[in-house]
Amino acid sequence: MLWKQFFTPVTSIDANQAKKLVLDEGADNVTFLDVRQPKEYMAGHIPASHLIPMGELDKRLGELDPNKPVVVY
Amino acid sequence: MMAGKGFTRIYNLSGGIKAWNSEVAVGPPELGLELFDGAESAEQTIIVGYGLEQGLREFYLDMQQNVDDKEAKELFQMLADIELLHQKQLLKLYDQVTGTSMPEDTFEKEKVQPAMEGGLTTAQYLERFSPDLESKLDILSLAISIEAQALDLYQRAADKADQEDVSSILRHIANEERTHINKLTQYLDAMA
Repeated sequence: MLWKQFFTPVTSIDANQAKKLVLDEGADNVTFLDVRQPKEYMAGHIPASHLIPMGELDKRLGELDPNKPVVVY
Repeated sequence: MMAGKGFTRIYNLSGGIKAWNSEVAVGPPELGLELFDGAESAEQTIIVGYGLEQGLREFYLDMQQNVDDKEAKELFQMLADIELLHQKQLLKLYDQVTGTSMPEDTFEKEKVQPAMEGGLTTAQYLERFSPDLESKLDILSLAISIEAQALDLYQRAADKADQEDVSSILRHIANEERTHINKLTQYLDAMA
């Protein structure tokens, strides 16, 4: 099995770069998307992030603004 | 999954929430969302899907060897078995779409293998994403991200398929992959 066909890795940014993104774009213009499970979200999440568990992501993408940069964790 | 829906700027937060809390840059496995381009014909989708199922099956069987937990072993075995079933369904679909009748080994050798050339082997892939194989959380997270790719592929293919029966089989497989994601996430929840 060879995987190149399926996966184009997304750009990774670290926490500092993510914070710079917020500074550059303005807090309202960056979406933080939490794709973990609700329990994990409740235990701790990045403030103002939007929770959509991975299993629901395909059905709920409409909740997000595609024009804003999205930081996924 | 998101790139196909108009999202152009997507970033994976490396280190996830842990890195954010501690505000230090770490070198974690990149288990985030990965995307793939979609422009496959129905025929190509089936071939790629077959390869993907094969990869998923290898992945689960591999992971099964890596976990000690009996319940996790059973879960991975069950998922591996279902992927095998999907391969058979896809081959049948391929025959139907192309009007041929291709034996499994010929199909694998002449169609699937060439389509997969230039990629990474499962071992290389795992190495690249370097999940902590001792960590069930890492394994499950990786499995979920792979299933999400599969789901996305089948869904887009189903939307594009002209024939209703082709579309409905692809949708059926897509829904099963969705069930897999839910099973994996339930298992993650139970662990937490």
